[in-house]
Amino acid sequence: MSKVGKRFALFVERHRTLYKGFLLLENMIKKPVLRCQSCGQCVLSYNAFTCCMRCPKQMRNGPCGGTRPDGSCEVYPDRPCIWQLIYTRSVKLGREKKLLKYHVPVDRRLERTSAILNSMAGRTEGISMSNELEPGEDRSTGRI
Amino acid sequence: MEEDAKDASDSNLERLLRQGSFVVSAELGPPAGVDRAVILKKCQYFRGVVDAVNVTDNQSAVVRMSSLMVSAILVQEGLEPIMQLTCRDRNRLALQSEVLSAAAAGIKNVLCLTGDHQSAGNQPDAKGVFDLDSTQLVNMVDEMNKGFFMNGEPVNPPPHMFVGATTNPFAEPFQMRIWNLAKKINAGARFIQTQPVFDLPLFEKWMAAVRDQGLDQQAFILAGAMPVKSAKALIYMRDHVPGMRIAGEYIRRMESAADPQKEGLAICAEIVRQLRDVTGVKGIHIMPVKWESITPQLVEECGLRPAVAGIQ
Repeated sequence: MSKVGKRFALFVERHRTLYKGFLLLENMIKKPVLRCQSCGQCVLSYNAFTCCMRCPKQMRNGPCGGTRPDGSCEVYPDRPCIWQLIYTRSVKLGREKKLLKYHVPVDRRLERTSAILNSMAGRTEGISMSNELEPGEDRSTGRI
Repeated sequence: MEEDAKDASDSNLERLLRQGSFVVSAELGPPAGVDRAVILKKCQYFRGVVDAVNVTDNQSAVVRMSSLMVSAILVQEGLEPIMQLTCRDRNRLALQSEVLSAAAAGIKNVLCLTGDHQSAGNQPDAKGVFDLDSTQLVNMVDEMNKGFFMNGEPVNPPPHMFVGATTNPFAEPFQMRIWNLAKKINAGARFIQTQPVFDLPLFEKWMAAVRDQGLDQQAFILAGAMPVKSAKALIYMRDHVPGMRIAGEYIRRMESAADPQKEGLAICAEIVRQLRDVTGVKGIHIMPVKWESITPQLVEECGLRPAVAGIQ
C-alpha cells in the first residue's frame, strides 16, 4: 500500500493541474469540516480530529498557560481553547494516550500543500513521536 | 536525576538544586529604555538575596531591552541569570542563534516559554512568529546541549545550558497540563517554574498529580509566588490575566487591610512558607512585578536564605 501510495502521490504531484484539483477537493472537505489550517503535516489523528493549528499560538504539544477558567482562549475569549476541546474530545473518544505524543516543529515548506499526498509520499514520517524515546528513535533527526 | 549528573551544565543554580538546597529565584523586568543604571539598581535588590534571576523576554508582549543583553549584564555584575526565551518574536534560526550568544556571554540557564500573545501587549498589530512551541523549544536547547542544531548538524563546541520550562497548575485542562509537563520534561526540561500561587489547595492537588507521575523526581519544581501592593492589582490579575486563579480570601484581606503593601507582603510570605512544606517543591520563584525592591524583605520574612550568600 505504502509503495503504491507513494507512487500515486508522486504521480499527482508531477501534474500541476491534477495536483491543484486534488488539493481543491481535499480543502473543500478539510476546511469547512475540520477547519484545517493547511500546515500540510496533519496530526488530526492524535488530537481527536481537532486541528491544533487553530490555536493563535499554533501550539502543537499542548495548551499555553492562558486558558481562561471557563475554558475559553486567552486571545479570543469568545472561542474555546482548542486544547480544552482536544482534551475533552480525546477523553470522550478514549484517545487520551494519543495526547502523549511529542510533535516535532512544523516543516514550513509543506504549508499550503496537500497533507494527504505528503503523508502518502512519506514526507511526514517522524513528525510525531512517543513520549519516551524508543530504541533507535532520535529526536534530532526526527524531521521530514 | 542522578544519571544526568554527568551531563550537568556549569549552572550554579543546577549545582545548588542537585545538592538539595532549597533555592530562590526572582524575576527582573528589563527597562523600556536605554538606561543601564536601572538594571544595576535592580541588581542591588537581588545580590546575595536570591540564587538566580529570571530576565523576562518582552514580557506581556511589551518591548523592552532584550533578555539576552540584560542577562549578559547580570553575568558581568556577578549574578546568575536565567534567560527567558520566547517563541513569539523569533523563528528557529533566531532562537538557536540566541542560545549560542547566551552561552558565549556566560549565561548558563535558559527558561523556554511560548510567550504571551502579541494581542496582550501594547503593539497588537505585530506579527507573532510562533515557529516553535515551548515544548519544541525545550527540545531544541536540549539537542544543542547534546551538540546538534535543529537540522542535525553539529554545534562545535556545544553550549551547556540548564534548561527550564514553565507550567500553569491553575488553568484548564488540568490533566492535559500534567501530560504537557511530562512532554516538556521528556524533551529535556530539568527545572520547572510555575505561575504564581494564589490558590494553595489547587496547587497541592496539582503537585500530588505531579508526584503521582514521578515528575518531581525528573525535574526540579520551583513554585511561583508574587507579592502584590494592592487589592486592585489582585482583582486586575483575576479578571484580566488569563490563567490566573486567585482565592477570594486574599482579595478580601487586601481590601480590608489598613496598609495594603504590608498585607501584600504578609500574604506572599505566608504562601511561600506553605509552599515550602509541599512535598516535591524544590524552590521558590518570586515574581515581584514592578516591585523588585521588596525582594530582600520578602526573602527575609519567609525565612528563606540563599543557599550561597552572594553568588559568585
